[in-house]
Order: sequence, then C-alpha cells, then structure tokens
Amino acid sequence: MSAHAELDLTHIDAPRTGVLGAIQSVLDVVNGVLAAASALAIAAAGLVLTWEVVGRYFLGIASDWQDELSTFLLIGATFASAAWTQARRGHVGIDALSMILPPSADRVRRRLADVGSSVFCTFFAVKCWQLLVEAWVDDQTTPSAWGAPLWIPYACMTFGMALLALQQALQVFTPRPVE
Amino acid sequence: MTTLQLGLMYGGATLAALFSGIPIAFALGGVATIFMMFFMPAASLDTIAQNVYEELASITLLTIPLFILKGAAIGKSRAGKDLYDALHTWLGRVPGGLGVAVVLACGLFAAMAGSSPATCSAIGSSGIPEMRRRGYSPGFAAGLVAAGGTLGILLPPSIVLILYAVAAEQSLGRLFLAGLGPGVLLVVLFASFAVFQWKREFIKAEKVVANGGPRSPILSDEHFTMAERLAALPRVMPFLLLLTGVMVALYGGIATPSETAGLGAVMALALIAIVYRAYKLRDLKPIFEGTLGESGMLLMIIGMSLLYSYVMSYLHISQSAAEAIVGLHLSKWMLLVAILLLVVMLGFFLPPVSIILMTAPIILPPLRAAGFDLIWFGVVMAVVMEMGLIHPPVGLNIFVINRIAPDIGLGPVIRGTIPFVILMAIGVVILSFVPGIAMWLPNAVYG
Repeated sequence: MSAHAELDLTHIDAPRTGVLGAIQSVLDVVNGVLAAASALAIAAAGLVLTWEVVGRYFLGIASDWQDELSTFLLIGATFASAAWTQARRGHVGIDALSMILPPSADRVRRRLADVGSSVFCTFFAVKCWQLLVEAWVDDQTTPSAWGAPLWIPYACMTFGMALLALQQALQVFTPRPVE
Repeated sequence: MTTLQLGLMYGGATLAALFSGIPIAFALGGVATIFMMFFMPAASLDTIAQNVYEELASITLLTIPLFILKGAAIGKSRAGKDLYDALHTWLGRVPGGLGVAVVLACGLFAAMAGSSPATCSAIGSSGIPEMRRRGYSPGFAAGLVAAGGTLGILLPPSIVLILYAVAAEQSLGRLFLAGLGPGVLLVVLFASFAVFQWKREFIKAEKVVANGGPRSPILSDEHFTMAERLAALPRVMPFLLLLTGVMVALYGGIATPSETAGLGAVMALALIAIVYRAYKLRDLKPIFEGTLGESGMLLMIIGMSLLYSYVMSYLHISQSAAEAIVGLHLSKWMLLVAILLLVVMLGFFLPPVSIILMTAPIILPPLRAAGFDLIWFGVVMAVVMEMGLIHPPVGLNIFVINRIAPDIGLGPVIRGTIPFVILMAIGVVILSFVPGIAMWLPNAVYG
C-alpha cells in the first residue's frame, strides 16, 4: 500500500496454515476483541466530551476528569487496535520501489521491511513495559486534581505494541503476492 | 561530527527507511531510535515511550479520532447523495448548475466530514454518473469532484490544520477560521470554472447538432418544481444544522475544540440513526472499523513523527537547517516559493501529517523571521497540499475517482484535474497578494 492509498480494512494479510496459522487465529480473536473495545472507547470518549460541554455549560458542573479520561480512552484505543490495523496492512508505507525492483528483489525488500518494523515495535514494547513497571512501582499519577494512575495508558501501550510486534513477526512469514 | 554531516545522515537514513517500505510511523520511530542510540546519552533511550505518550496525550491531537468518527458516520451514510440531490434541484436553473451543485456539495460535505477521500467518494458516486448522464465530459465531471473533494483539508475540522496548529504552536480556533475564506475562494474559483467549462461543452454540443450530429443531453433543459425543491430539504437540513451547530459551539464559547470533536461525533451518530435509521451493528461496524483504521494509522504516524522531530531538535539538526535557510538571504517571496516547492515535492511521497510534523521545526523559524504570519502560512500550506491530492504522481483523489468511476480511465481523470491544479495555484497567488482573505475572519473574531 502506498503512503497515500485509501485503507482497505477488509483483507487480512497474515499466515493461515501450520503453527503460525494457529497463532494467527488466536491473535485474530484477541485483535477482534480489542478492536471492539477500542471502538467502544472512541465512542465513550465522544460521550465524555459531550457530557463535559453539557455539564459545564448547562448544569454548571466543573470539568476536572473529562479531558484526562478521554485522553486515556483515545490513547488506549490507538494502541489496543494497532495490531488489528496492522493485520490489514493499515499502517501505510511507501511502496514506490515495488514498481522499479524485479519481483524477487521486491519480495526480499518487503520481508526486510516487515523484519525492520517488527524489531522496532518489539524494542518500543520493551520500553513501554519499563515505563509501565516504573509507573506501577512508583504509583505515578497524572499531575491534575483527578490524579489518575499512569499505569493505565502505559499498560495499553505495552500490550498494544507487543501485539503489534507479534503481528508483524507473523507477517514476515506470510507469503505475499507481488502487486 | 559536524551538524551538517549529522543532518545529512539523518535525512539519508530517513529516506532509506521510508523507501524500504517500512510503514511510515515505524520508519520514523526506528530512525529516531537508532540516532538516539548512537548520538544521544544512553538514558535518552529509556524515555522514547514516555516521549511518544507525552506528545500524543495532547487533547488537541486526540480530537483527530473523534473528527474521523464524525466524518465516517456522515461519509458512510447517504448524506452526501442527499446533499448533492438537494443542491441540484435548487441550482437546476443556473447555467452549469449541476457542476456548481457538485462544487457546493463537496464544500459543505467536506466541512461536515473533514475528509477529502470521503467527500470524493460520497459526492462523486452520485454526482459523476449524473453529470455524465447530463452530457458533461467524463474528465470534466471527474476533475470537478476530485478538486471539490480536496476542500476537506482546508475547511474545518481539517486534520491537517489540527496538526499544523500543534506543530506551529498556533491557535486551532484561529486556524479553522483562517481556512474558511480561502475555502470559499476555492469554491468560487471551482464553481466559476464549472460554469465556464459547461458553456464550452454546451457550445461544442450545439455545433455538433448544427452539423447534423447527435444531440447531447447537455443541451436539454432541466426543471424542478418548487414542491420537488422543498421535498429535498428535510433530509439535508439536520446535517446543515450539525455543521452550523458545531461551529456555533466552537466559536460561541460553548465548547473547546476537543469538546467540539466529541460533540460533533456524537451528534453525527445520532443524526444518521434518526435520519437514516443507521443504528444497527451492521450499520455501525463499517463506521467504527474505518475510524479505527484511519485514526490508529494517523496517530501512530503523529506520535512517531513527534519523536523524530524531538531527536532532530536535540541534535540541533532542525535549528542548523533553519539557520542555513535564513543564511541563504533569500527574498521573502523566494523563500516562500522555495518552501512551498519543497512541500509539493515531499507530497509526492509522504502524507500531509508527516510533512507538517517533520518539516515544521525547519521551515517555520525562517518564515517567522521573514515576517510571515504563521496562521496565514498554515492555510497556504494546506492549499498546496490540496494540490498534491489531485496531481500526479500520487493524487489520492484521482485514485478514489478511478475506483468509483473506473470506466473513465486514469488519463481523462488526470487531464480533468489539471485546470483545478492551476486554479489552486492561482488561489495561492491571490492569498499571497490579499492575505486578508484568510486573516480577516480570525482577526475580526479574536482581535
């Protein structure tokens, strides 16, 4: 998919046979559940922000937790659904070289790109995990009056990036037709 | 190692990573991480996840999923067709009224949905067949919709302007208002061209008939009764109320931009449930799937682009590049032209979100030093990025049109968009000479 192509979310690009296919089937279920939860989180963020307007403007209720809660919900949705999006190759890249390279070389390029993505996301997931542990141990909270625990968004980031890295690793082994 | 060498390595590594096909988000994150490993203190690596979280945890940036949800709800409903049908009945008597209706429908729909591809798809799927049935040439019909669709990144709630507001540290409210005047300017330019081109095709069709050829449907008159016109209104009025309601909430001091995004999404979902009875799971699933895919991809790119910019700034690459640009002592307008050309070239490969976040630290200081208003520049940059949506080699809207009207072919679609690329360039020139078109409204509202 090119950097500018429209997203096609109907086709899942992942292994379907053998041990990897079985792992992918489990991951599909997890991705599906997290995608549904993410959709609910986005809708909930919309409702929270709507309530913030109604509460403040019409009922005179001070807003203290709404912005932070919607931030948590939206960040959670972004990371929790990252593997679901990746399964559909929804994280777009530049595919210009596929028009120039011979098919065999292009297959190698695509595989290396998947390996590179997976390595980065694994590293990032590890860093998210360290952040999560630190926030949990130190009981870190947001600086607002609400003081929400920071391990919540960090847990979403850790879990989401780990699943994303796993999805990318599985895609390294998926035979991809040359477009 | 000098900053120049470091900058060249950073740029080279970025190009290599992007062209390798690694998704843009992870390519930028990966390059930033590798440079952190080699050129920044070891402890900085421990902060990458926190950096991304802190950059993303901006309530302004997080309006993006909600604006996308609002756009998806409206875009996947029949609102686009109804809006276009209603305008068609009301503008039936205007010469070239069908084309003008398409442009106006695109503008209004873009303002509701905030997405260029969604606008193209929603208006084009009914507008292009109707224009062709009425004798418009396929390229003209396709070009009109492709160009009209680009208004999505200029009119509020444009995601491009939201990102620019964050990157340039400018008021989002002012930017949204500044986009309105140029949006109207482009609508006027496109609509004028629609009338002009319709007249040309009309005269051509008359000549064909005079020479004994077949009679084109473009020569037929079309009338709608007042009853038909009034009957078209009830379905579109709720959406126009949504559009105005959101603007009133934002500028009437009722809601902040983030609250407006939440309110708009909830109202859009409520409206499609009431007007189109789209409340079942099968109706809502594609809306939320589209929202998840697009917002997840965009926010991941945004988070990693911000990390990328942070590293660029820490290593003084952006500051040195900005100083080098200032050191060229280009005249004010040459500087603007050079920067806009850079934006056009980057647009060949990168989506607007990455262009804005990656280039802002480099191009904005010289522009500020040259005396340009950064709100004005944001709007001009958005118009230039709009051009990228309809010109080769990428031109996302061209491919959207090709998908909804595949029998036209890419060649005629591209030829049909060329006049509009020229009109947009004229629009940029007009905005440069009359900056008040963009700045009058925000200055009047905010002082």
